[in-house]
Amino acid sequence: MGNSKLYKGSLNTIILKLLDEQGKMYGYEITQKVKALTKGELNITEGALYPALHKLEAEGLLDVEVAKVDNRLRKYYKLTELGEKETVNRLADLEEFIRSMQNLVNPDWNIT
Amino acid sequence: MNKLTEEQIQELYTFTHDHFVYHFDLQTELVDHLANGIEVLLLQHPNLSFNEALQMEFKKFGVFGFQEVVEERRKALNKKYLKIIFNFYKAYFTIPKIMLTVILTILLYTTLSSFTPNYQHSIIMVLYLSFFAIAFIRLTKYNTILKKKKHKWMLEEILLTQMGLFSLFQLPIHILNMPVEIESSHFLGLMSFFNVSIIILFYVMVFQIPSKAEDLLEKTYPEYKMTKTL
Repeated sequence: MGNSKLYKGSLNTIILKLLDEQGKMYGYEITQKVKALTKGELNITEGALYPALHKLEAEGLLDVEVAKVDNRLRKYYKLTELGEKETVNRLADLEEFIRSMQNLVNPDWNIT
Repeated sequence: MNKLTEEQIQELYTFTHDHFVYHFDLQTELVDHLANGIEVLLLQHPNLSFNEALQMEFKKFGVFGFQEVVEERRKALNKKYLKIIFNFYKAYFTIPKIMLTVILTILLYTTLSSFTPNYQHSIIMVLYLSFFAIAFIRLTKYNTILKKKKHKWMLEEILLTQMGLFSLFQLPIHILNMPVEIESSHFLGLMSFFNVSIIILFYVMVFQIPSKAEDLLEKTYPEYKMTKTL
């Protein structure tokens, strides 16, 4: 779909929201969940997910944990305290953006 | 669901290595990702071979394979490294360590002011060169340590090989090449402070941070401790 660019800008926010809801998650789980949630519209490649996760980790928004699962090591991501605060902010920003867009595209229609 | 065997997991490590992922931290994450994908594919298509499933899963990373993941990881860790440097470095400009910075500055200032400008340049040069010589020996030692390690960790490599260190080394040399006469005492004081600050920065990068590398790695990689005992 052509609108995947619109989703891409919000990938970080989507990841933060997912982790906020689910607690800790590992990379593969996040890709599958994002794909399911966006019903395949956001065809995020694996190549885009990990850089986003590593960036959020470097910014101190995510913390990592490692566990041995089925013969291999699995890296889990979860929100830090700072990450939790930031999730609230970014979701508010996103909602604000959606509202402005809504007004711009269709002034007579309201989501709330 | 059939889980991949230990041999197949090892094959995946080799696969990531063959596709230019050389660091254990990143390899581990990608191996788990590929393994999850392969297990799902094999469940949906029982006739697929392990290798066919691996290729299908790898294709999902796009035409550049793991390249973007590796590059972005390095960028993220370089950023982290700068933060680490800043945290150690700022201690020298706050109480109590600022006393050391001040004493060193005064020491350099009094030494320099007892010589004529011509000698002042030479003294600063000798100061840097002797520091570089010691630093060079250290860096060679770190490189040998890194080469001997079974697993390569990206942050460890950054911490011990001091990215961009050598380009920073050029800075004082360029400044010393400027034809300035160090006559005013204000300027001499400023020069002393500047040189002390640079030397402290190098000290933090070459000596202090590498000595704390183990701690920093354990904090960054929860698996670091685990693999030591595996």
